[in-house]
Amino acid sequence: MNHILQVNNLQTAFKTDKGMQTVVHGISFHVDKGEIVGIVGESGCGKSVTSLSIMRLLHDTPGKITGGQVIYNDHDLLRLPESSMKGYRGKELAMIFQEPMTSLNPVLKIGKQLREPIQLHLKMSKADAAEHAVKVLESVGIPRAKDIMEEYPHQLSGGMRQRVMIAMAISCKPSLLIADEPTTALDVTIQAQILSLMKEIQKENDMGILMITHDLGVVAEVCNRVIVMYAGRVVEETTVELLFENPKHPYTKGLIASVPKIGSGSKRLHSIPGTVPSPTNMPTGCKFAPRCKDVMDFCHTEEPGLIEEDGHSCRCWLYQDQRQGAMTE
Amino acid sequence: MKDEVLIDIKDVKKHFPLSKKWFAEKKYVKAVDGVSFSIKKGETFGLVGESGCGKSTTGRLINGLIKADSGEIKFKGKNLANISEKDWKKYRKPMQMVFQDPYASLSPRLKVKDILSEPLKIHYPKMPNDEKKKLVTELMDKCGISEFHLEKYPHEFSGGQRQRIGIARSLILRPELIIADEPVSALDVSIQSQILNLMKDLQEEFGLTYLFISHDLSVVEHISDRVGVMYLGNLVEIARKRQIFEDPKHPYTQALLSSIPQPDPKKKRETIVLTGEIPSAANPPSGCKFHTRCPAAMEICRKIVPELKQLGREQYTACHLY
Repeated sequence: MNHILQVNNLQTAFKTDKGMQTVVHGISFHVDKGEIVGIVGESGCGKSVTSLSIMRLLHDTPGKITGGQVIYNDHDLLRLPESSMKGYRGKELAMIFQEPMTSLNPVLKIGKQLREPIQLHLKMSKADAAEHAVKVLESVGIPRAKDIMEEYPHQLSGGMRQRVMIAMAISCKPSLLIADEPTTALDVTIQAQILSLMKEIQKENDMGILMITHDLGVVAEVCNRVIVMYAGRVVEETTVELLFENPKHPYTKGLIASVPKIGSGSKRLHSIPGTVPSPTNMPTGCKFAPRCKDVMDFCHTEEPGLIEEDGHSCRCWLYQDQRQGAMTE
Repeated sequence: MKDEVLIDIKDVKKHFPLSKKWFAEKKYVKAVDGVSFSIKKGETFGLVGESGCGKSTTGRLINGLIKADSGEIKFKGKNLANISEKDWKKYRKPMQMVFQDPYASLSPRLKVKDILSEPLKIHYPKMPNDEKKKLVTELMDKCGISEFHLEKYPHEFSGGQRQRIGIARSLILRPELIIADEPVSALDVSIQSQILNLMKDLQEEFGLTYLFISHDLSVVEHISDRVGVMYLGNLVEIARKRQIFEDPKHPYTQALLSSIPQPDPKKKRETIVLTGEIPSAANPPSGCKFHTRCPAAMEICRKIVPELKQLGREQYTACHLY
């Protein structure tokens, strides 16, 4: 297989007062070389937990991976001991977080934070690592890179900090970059800068990027393929063109119609009634059924599977023969 | 009726001092640096701009949460700039606020019914309890929260429901003007559209005027009649919504519009990527404050501050190009 990342049936649960609650329910997808894959969904759909699970960064949370595989280069990352996982994290797979202020260490100079992974993974001396770090900073469009090495994160603006985060993430030339809402905290003009920078870097290094976002505009702008998540499940997956041209799942349709578009005037916005169900109070059957406008009786009792047809997967009874589905359940 | 001016502000300035030390050099953040606009009764005026441009400060200046350093703020012809705190109580009643963070703006220790009846207690101390309850229940129903939720505390609600409570609270005194400061920014898209629709319905029903402050141009386009674009404490363009979105004049407005990622992969528009960062409001550039990032900057822009100039009917731009 030529996928750089293959996630199979990943399950993650969180410890709560009411016992373990599964928040990621057996999701599977892959990322190829040179491809930007987007995961979209609303808050609480499990998209960030998915990314943290792939990186095995859940130990600071009440979360635990309870099943599945994360295959990178024929190795299942979930079975590696923590010590060898450290060799992957930052070198092979790197991550950019939403909050560039909280994810940089406030008491260390930018230079030291950048040098650290370079010295560790690329086995460079301090001086060589510093030189490399300046080069990387320049490549992400930071002016006066040498001076910035001596500054602290609070001295930089939000956009600059996000550039530093990106520089840190790509400093060891990872083959997969996971970006969790990388531009959500930024202003639109700065967001445009960062998105075009990410596309550039992706082309240059032929990386795969897993882009986690709630913003369909960002998805349309940068992604090649999109995974739509709802209540911890993949509900639709296809190319970005097909998703916007011919969305299948009623949730995806509703989501796309909910976004106010420039030039569409003040028509009433489409809205999805109700709210995302909480993990402690999941409906039986299709998890979207209580909010769905195309709901059928059957939807409340049986959960549909994710069925692929011509490169377009969808988890909805509208596209599946119910009896056939029921028999294979 | 439609042309009655509700809010008229002229050359309003607010500079926040940076250091409070006695002998330190006096430095100021020029949050709002001479802003003028008016809002007519029944319309929605959208105020957009990036973080730190002074849009929230402008909203707070209008309803007196902070006092302006200079300039005029008129509500129905009455200048509010110099009135006493006691008189403010009278004037805040017809202008209420909806805040961005539905988590931080509702007291966690009060039940929903108490949150909603508190304004009534203050402004109508003699109102009997059952009348208060009737008003609260009616309004909650209009905002989409059913009666049995009234005994609950804010933490039991989702973000969207909380924002409905925040909106209901702002309406309980039957105000004329609602200042909504990023009311949907903290919400998911599917919830955001519910709240935007609700705000439109309520506007029709109660004849409300909105000052809608947001960083999100697509939301502003959806809800506004007229739009003002701010950059570093100044309005750079004011126009009817159609003019702003179809024929933006100011280079900043143009760049802002082209930067919004559109949910349509086939629409590969030319994005004007602005170079550089937003300068600090404590040390803004000379002349036109946008000249450091402007693709069309000329010599004159570095020296002379452009005035708002009328270009068409109801279209004003502060740019030396015109």
